[in-house]
Amino acid sequence: MHELRPGILAAVSDVHLSPASPTVGPDPSDSLRFVDVRRRFGRLSVLTGVSGELSSGEVMLVTGANGSGKSTLLKCLAALLAPDRGTIELTEESRTLDAYDRRLRVGFLSPDLAFYEELTTLENLRFFARLRRAPEARCEALLERVGLPNDRKSGALSSGMRQRLRWAWAMLHRPRLLLLDEPFQNFDAPGETMARDLLTEHLESGGLAVVAAPSGMDLPHVASYLELVG
Amino acid sequence: MWRAISSWWAETAAVLAKDWRSELRTRYALNTLALFAVTTLVTVSFGIGPVGTSADMAGGVLPVVLWIILLFAATAGLPRLFVHEEETHTATALRLSATPSALFTGKLIYGVTLIFALEALVAPLFIALMQLPVARPWLLVGLLAAGGYGLAAASTLISAIISQARGQSTLFAVLAFPVLLPLFILLIDLTRTAVLDAPLTTPLGSQMAPLLLYDLVVTVAGWMLFPAVWNP
Repeated sequence: MHELRPGILAAVSDVHLSPASPTVGPDPSDSLRFVDVRRRFGRLSVLTGVSGELSSGEVMLVTGANGSGKSTLLKCLAALLAPDRGTIELTEESRTLDAYDRRLRVGFLSPDLAFYEELTTLENLRFFARLRRAPEARCEALLERVGLPNDRKSGALSSGMRQRLRWAWAMLHRPRLLLLDEPFQNFDAPGETMARDLLTEHLESGGLAVVAAPSGMDLPHVASYLELVG
Repeated sequence: MWRAISSWWAETAAVLAKDWRSELRTRYALNTLALFAVTTLVTVSFGIGPVGTSADMAGGVLPVVLWIILLFAATAGLPRLFVHEEETHTATALRLSATPSALFTGKLIYGVTLIFALEALVAPLFIALMQLPVARPWLLVGLLAAGGYGLAAASTLISAIISQARGQSTLFAVLAFPVLLPLFILLIDLTRTAVLDAPLTTPLGSQMAPLLLYDLVVTVAGWMLFPAVWNP
């Protein structure tokens, strides 16, 4: 039996609920709501009816062991995977986006996200800025913000620097919804501070975020917890 | 309306520029295509021509050989248009950023320019090495353009279809066979007309029409199918 609990988060058989802490954002109309999301890979059932709800300025923290479906859930929310069943509604500026718009609007960060190794960090960001119709000036500003050199080829970046580039890429088009899969992986202490600052600014400007991690972590503005059991 | 078209074209141009910039730095496709084409060309020139090919045979056999060389050289590089994006995990970032039709068009134009570069290398060398007389050079140029475009358009679409599958090389060959066969039958037949100094039985325009129609159909099919193939 899978039902959506009013208020904070839906309850499903494999989801653990925790109380929420309220946060305030400037645009309360933005929201994410997903109900009874199911996804199988062949015979393997990864998501068996996951539901949740998130409003402007809030974080949902998704935890669970390896293989529990955290990344699959985030890919479904980003419309990179189509769920076998269930509905996902992302509302921005009072408009509910379809899967196509949702894919192009979300800010997505994942460990398996890669960039063109033969291009520099700035060339990579400029390319995606042109695709996302973001101002090119933002590329240099973001690289400076995440502490990356403009002229280093992506293939020559360390794992921590690649994670910084993923953050810059995810923030490039000023998304309302951030989907962050293990967002602080490979960071040194300044890197993690920088990423936490970016996340805090995003939330304080009314953005939403779903953060996936193997275990709980201290994050600002967490409104709901979702524990997936694989 | 114009703003939307302008944005769409900017995306297409960005994909094209990125692909060429990456290619000029890695030279993967350029080297593969050029090496394959030149090796095959030299082998054929030593094997069958011009000494081994009579003037009567030249018009019948050499157009077939020319298009076989171009086909196999192209299939050494073009199937990787989308496969490479999947292998290097850059496809996810592309899916989250690019309008599918603009992405397809950018990749298509990149493939076309790559084929044109290949043809610019192979065709003059082939004509020189095989001492192939060309009765209608402008027809041959038109055929290389229309044929190269059709080959690139079909290969781009098939590359997108196979990119997320296993056994990509085999799958490309299986899918390419029925799609490219009509194109090559048309091209070989028309190239004979371009090479041989024989009177035309039908106007050139009527002979070229099926080839141009093929290019149009493959392009439209690509635009229609690509979003479904590319997105989940």
